Amino acid sequence: MKYDETGLRVRFNEVDSWGMVWHGHYISWFEVGRMALLGKFHLLPKDFTQMGYIAPVVDLKCVFKEPARLDEEILIRTTVLRPTKAALTFRFEVLRKSDGKLLASGEETQVLLTLDGRMLYIIPQNLRERFQPLFDYLEEPDSPA
Amino acid sequence: MSDALVLELKKLIIETLKLEEVTPEDIEDGGRLFGDGLGLDSIDALELVVALEKAYGISIPDSEVGERVFRSVNTLAQFVKEQSIDKK
Repeated sequence: MKYDETGLRVRFNEVDSWGMVWHGHYISWFEVGRMALLGKFHLLPKDFTQMGYIAPVVDLKCVFKEPARLDEEILIRTTVLRPTKAALTFRFEVLRKSDGKLLASGEETQVLLTLDGRMLYIIPQNLRERFQPLFDYLEEPDSPA
Repeated sequence: MSDALVLELKKLIIETLKLEEVTPEDIEDGGRLFGDGLGLDSIDALELVVALEKAYGISIPDSEVGERVFRSVNTLAQFVKEQSIDKK
């Protein structure tokens, strides 16, 4: 499974008094990666809403390996697994750009709800079709988005 | 309700959700599966839906149906039975 990449530079408001990025910010970086990937396929939250769905997060984990520090350039790598059930599971890696060191990794699962709050137990055909280009892209190592 | 089907469903729940410390005897036929019963959650429901579709060819499309079907092993067995009859 291919990872999509996006970058950012650690900002002053993201580091704690020890000079390291505060742990909660990695979660918002996951969000940056997720939006960068989904935006390429018109699958942003507003697109879900237009189709009549929302996709709340029900599970999230993050493993911290090395601290990121102020002004460092960061790479966020994001992928999403082809669903085996009615949920989307994203995987993330946060790397320091200068040496490629893995700083953190994570996983997040979202379920699908209709706008009136029904949770989908089966992914409807219209959504499967919308997801198809995303999975095709992630499963073809060298294809451009 | 067929005791054999109820037992089969209990085993399917245990195997699908890898409930290693639970035996079929621990699951009450009429006991709640979610929340304060067996303690299953929404992701467990999604796993069960896939396993039930594979085992019995039945479809549980959403939580509206799921809340009724997954109330207990008895209600699940009833649903499996009804759906199987519908398909015959």
